[in-house]
Amino acid sequence: MPLTTVSNGRTYDWSYAIGRAAATGTGFNYPQTMCLGNDGDIFVANRGNENNFGMRVNRLKLAAPGEEELLAEFFTWGEGDGHSTWPFGVAVDSHSNVYVSDEWTNTISVFHGNGTFLRKWGKTGSGDGELLRPAGLVCDQHGNVIVVDSGNNRLQVFSGDGKFLAKYGKGGTGDGEFNQPWGITLDTAGNIYVADWKNHRVQKLSPKGEFLMKIGEYGTVPAPADAFAVTYLGPHISSTLPEEFPKAGLLNHPTDVAVDSDGDIYIADWGNHRISIFDSEGRPLTNLLGDAQVMSKWGQQSIDANPDMMKALRRVRNLEPQWRFCFPTAVDFNPKTDEIIVADSQRNRLQIYRKVRDYVDFQANL
Amino acid sequence: MTYQDDIGLMAHLMRRAGFGASRDELEARVAKGYVATVEELLNPEAQPPVDPYELLRYQPSALLPGGQPPMGNVNYMYYMVTTKRPLEEKMALFWHHVLATGNSKVDNYDQLLEQIVLFRHNGMGNYRDLLLKIAKNPTMIFWLDNNQNHGTAVNENWGRELLELFSLGAGNYTEKDVREASRAFTGWTFETKIPRLPYGRFPWKFEYRPEDHDDGAKEFLGHRGHFNGEDIIDIIVQQPACARFICRHLYNFFVADEPQVPAWSLEPPRDPAAIDAMATAFRESNYEIRPVLRLLFKSDFFKNARYRHLKSPAEVVVGTLRLVGGYDLPKPGYGELSMQPSYMGQDLLNPPSVEGWHTGSEWINSGSLMARINFVADQLGNQSLPGVRAIIDRLKAKTILEPDELVGECLDLLGPVEVGADTRRELIDQARQWGRLSWDSGPNAQIAAKRATEMMQLIAATREYQFA
Repeated sequence: MPLTTVSNGRTYDWSYAIGRAAATGTGFNYPQTMCLGNDGDIFVANRGNENNFGMRVNRLKLAAPGEEELLAEFFTWGEGDGHSTWPFGVAVDSHSNVYVSDEWTNTISVFHGNGTFLRKWGKTGSGDGELLRPAGLVCDQHGNVIVVDSGNNRLQVFSGDGKFLAKYGKGGTGDGEFNQPWGITLDTAGNIYVADWKNHRVQKLSPKGEFLMKIGEYGTVPAPADAFAVTYLGPHISSTLPEEFPKAGLLNHPTDVAVDSDGDIYIADWGNHRISIFDSEGRPLTNLLGDAQVMSKWGQQSIDANPDMMKALRRVRNLEPQWRFCFPTAVDFNPKTDEIIVADSQRNRLQIYRKVRDYVDFQANL
Repeated sequence: MTYQDDIGLMAHLMRRAGFGASRDELEARVAKGYVATVEELLNPEAQPPVDPYELLRYQPSALLPGGQPPMGNVNYMYYMVTTKRPLEEKMALFWHHVLATGNSKVDNYDQLLEQIVLFRHNGMGNYRDLLLKIAKNPTMIFWLDNNQNHGTAVNENWGRELLELFSLGAGNYTEKDVREASRAFTGWTFETKIPRLPYGRFPWKFEYRPEDHDDGAKEFLGHRGHFNGEDIIDIIVQQPACARFICRHLYNFFVADEPQVPAWSLEPPRDPAAIDAMATAFRESNYEIRPVLRLLFKSDFFKNARYRHLKSPAEVVVGTLRLVGGYDLPKPGYGELSMQPSYMGQDLLNPPSVEGWHTGSEWINSGSLMARINFVADQLGNQSLPGVRAIIDRLKAKTILEPDELVGECLDLLGPVEVGADTRRELIDQARQWGRLSWDSGPNAQIAAKRATEMMQLIAATREYQFA
């Protein structure tokens, strides 16, 4: 597979990967959501596991490939202010305050960007301002926080200090209705995009919550007979992929959405292990499958420190399963760098592509 | 049969072919009929499968859990507790007891879960096909060292266990047969997997290496030829001993406790006629498991075997969690729940050896018995759980319960559980100390509900409750 994907006048280059499996420090532990900060940084919310390892939000410095740095860790597992049980959503406002959701305690906690706890709110329930399994978060230009109130199948808008302002949507399959929604983003006009997870679609709403458009339909692509299952739920790696694989436009439990500065829409097609790209009208363009053929910096450190792993890696006949996404949960677009950042959840890393503006075909006579 | 007999028989079926059922479910199934319920259990495709995405939505680390508990157990437990296809799940548990592999050596719960998926999908299908799949399963290959079984240096581990524990049983083959079978499986191995660092676990992939296979002439169980592994399996399944061995395993798991497997060459089955009937069905169907199970569940020997099977820890824990309810969605603490069978002597996905778990009375020692009783009592004492509330609501509908009625109703709603006269008398003695229970006022209702849960906890502590 090429590291460069060209489709419908757009070009996407795989750039680099960040991360490795780590319950603390330089790496991730089942990243669920992420949000770009205001200072060339990114916040990643990690779910961890039942041993109470790995739950945290990492703040990372993003720079050129190989120059990433871990700046802070907070919202680690535990009881009391500043700690979490099931961390999930993360969002950053224009003052670099960081909002994180805990979908077990049904609270939203607010931190300073350096990880200092500031305040929290939230009460379990289905009334106005009450929460049930709050998932994705996004901050709007007015300083309000829109919460994907997943268990109540709605969005709720809060002021930055937790005052209930509005709610949109209800449970169902109709327009403007949701079934266990997950991630959320805004475009430059303030329109709201929600990954309607169990309805297998993304919905676009106006800034006031009115339904505008839905994208995608449910579909999975049957694995070819000879395919190698990386997990029993895929992805499936095959040397004889049928031409239509992976068909664009089909979604299987989409988890997140991003919009680039041209209006193109990126959807984390979680259950199909890919990023599906649509134009601003919702027409499918292409898919990214994961192309991490180069080891991340921290990943290489793990290999270098473990000779047995290095030897094992050399013996592997086909490394393609390692390149590919495995349940990607989150996608962001950085308008400053034209980077598409993907949280490759089961691989505990970020894969970063670049939308190339001045693509020149590769030199073929080398 | 009376309606109560029908409920009792249906409860027996659901305890054995599944993990028990609530009274609401039992009543619905009685209305549907015994034979129809057996057919539904045998044809699980009509019911929706467990939604794995719901699990991963909340517990993403349950997919590739690596070598440390409990996330692999969380995955497995979630399936057993939430499945609407109980026999399919029970058969996965059965096969992982017979064709046992363990995390103690494999150190990859993800690979063990992949094997459970194999059993889930093939557990009621053709035994010959299942044996071939498991012979090619990398987890089994690693567990029994067939990756070290080379044409020029034979390793007999897989070949021996295939005959002794997976198909024929001791006494039905010779040492030469072990050697020849092992030679036939040389070259059956797997590709090197991508290592766990730095990005987490990747699976093995089966690989056949013809250059490492001993293609010489072999003599196996009276047959001669240049056998490969598949030929060996074809010869094995034709042996009369194979049908008897597999059917005795099914009898031990579903009907009544047999001695441990190593004793099978010495001690006859407790019901030879039942084994013969099942073995005939097995052979006549070309080694299909489903017809054998159909015969078993419809037989008198099954219907008459109530409480002749000591519940395995998995049956205790899963049966309790399904009864009390409230575990449909993953929640924090599921890891601890999923390890409960381990504390009772059945470490799921990690049996003590290739022989599987020792069953029957060997499940019980002073520690495991206390772990069983305490776990069930904790759950039944939690009035916030929907299944416990449902039982209390049924008791509440009686308005007033005399001591003997309280005991009778609680025994009925927890099973029905059949207890001996002494046990019943002791339970009634305790209930008499509490006096008549009444739901006629708020404070009385609170006391009555508390006493009802305490009575259920006492029942869970009886000898009889340990049997299914």
